[in-house]
Amino acid sequence: MKQEISALMDGELYEDEVENILSRFKGDSAARKNWAAYHLIGDVLRQPDHIHCDLSATIRDRMATEPTVFVPRGQAAKQKIRSIALSAAASVAAIGVVSWMSLQIGPEASPNMMMQQNAIRPAKAQILPSSNDYLLAHQEFSPSTDMSGGAYYIRTVSYSADDTQLKDNAGKR
Amino acid sequence: MADREVDQQLVERVQRGDKHAFDLLVSKYQRKLGRLISRFVRDPAEAEDVTQDAFIKAYRALPGFRGESAFYTWLYRIGINTAKNHLLSSKRRAPTSTPFDAEEAESFEEAGLLREVNTPENELMSKQVVGVVQASLQQLPEDLRSALTLREIEGLSYEEIANVMNCPVGTVRSRIFRAREAVAENLRPLLETSKGKRW
Repeated sequence: MKQEISALMDGELYEDEVENILSRFKGDSAARKNWAAYHLIGDVLRQPDHIHCDLSATIRDRMATEPTVFVPRGQAAKQKIRSIALSAAASVAAIGVVSWMSLQIGPEASPNMMMQQNAIRPAKAQILPSSNDYLLAHQEFSPSTDMSGGAYYIRTVSYSADDTQLKDNAGKR
Repeated sequence: MADREVDQQLVERVQRGDKHAFDLLVSKYQRKLGRLISRFVRDPAEAEDVTQDAFIKAYRALPGFRGESAFYTWLYRIGINTAKNHLLSSKRRAPTSTPFDAEEAESFEEAGLLREVNTPENELMSKQVVGVVQASLQQLPEDLRSALTLREIEGLSYEEIANVMNCPVGTVRSRIFRAREAVAENLRPLLETSKGKRW
């Protein structure tokens, strides 16, 4: 118990240990005396020139005439709900700010992406529509696909103004 | 669990009707609060009364304490207000040049500016207590003395002390406890015999 009191003073106990030891303080005056003595030692070591006399007994006597403090459970629960609500509101606000920032950045980024896509597009135009069946069959057996099962339903499509010309060329071949 | 959270646990216990939990808070903060109040109220007997009043006011106000600030910050604010009201009620002015304010309560310990005047009786008892603690500390084995000093004076955590002393955290915990207990063992006869003198 004494060692736990020492660790409690230093904030070095886990939550469940704290709960346990604080419960034991209630009916153990010797434990409370140890707590007081250990704190006195700490105060003396930190401020040896500023040691006051012990007021706890006098305060205890005065408190005997005071009505016991009691906060209704509902009020305590309200306080907890309030703090949770505030945390939730802060999270929502943070998400809102991040979303708004990404929307602000969006229109600037998209032209670049469009340019990149346009740069890639001519390569697509080289794929003949007649090769779609071959690509689909290959994709179906490919182990690297991330869309297993969905590949069957994917059809490679490209559009180009030169489509008619390509068809003509294929016909000639 | 950090120190502030332990205080919050104690406060919640008081709010559920546990007066003993308030005793623990008094034991912990009475000297710090007393030093703060003696900055405002120079007379030692009056400063003692004001310190008691501040604790009683804090106890009465605890149902409204929501834990938005640290308990000790809240307590020191009550202490300052109680001291200022005491001076006003005795038609004296609180020292306006004091560099101390409620917002600075967090760094109170580091302020190192506080000088209180003790009664002759308390002065003697204070010297005896300080003498016993310091003599006991000197008698401790080096590893126990270092562990306690690093914790109480330097304010290091157990993990930091373990790094400094190159030993497991469990050993640090044990050394600090053994050091405290050895000093307390020498202190107890003095505290017991002077019970009537409020030590």
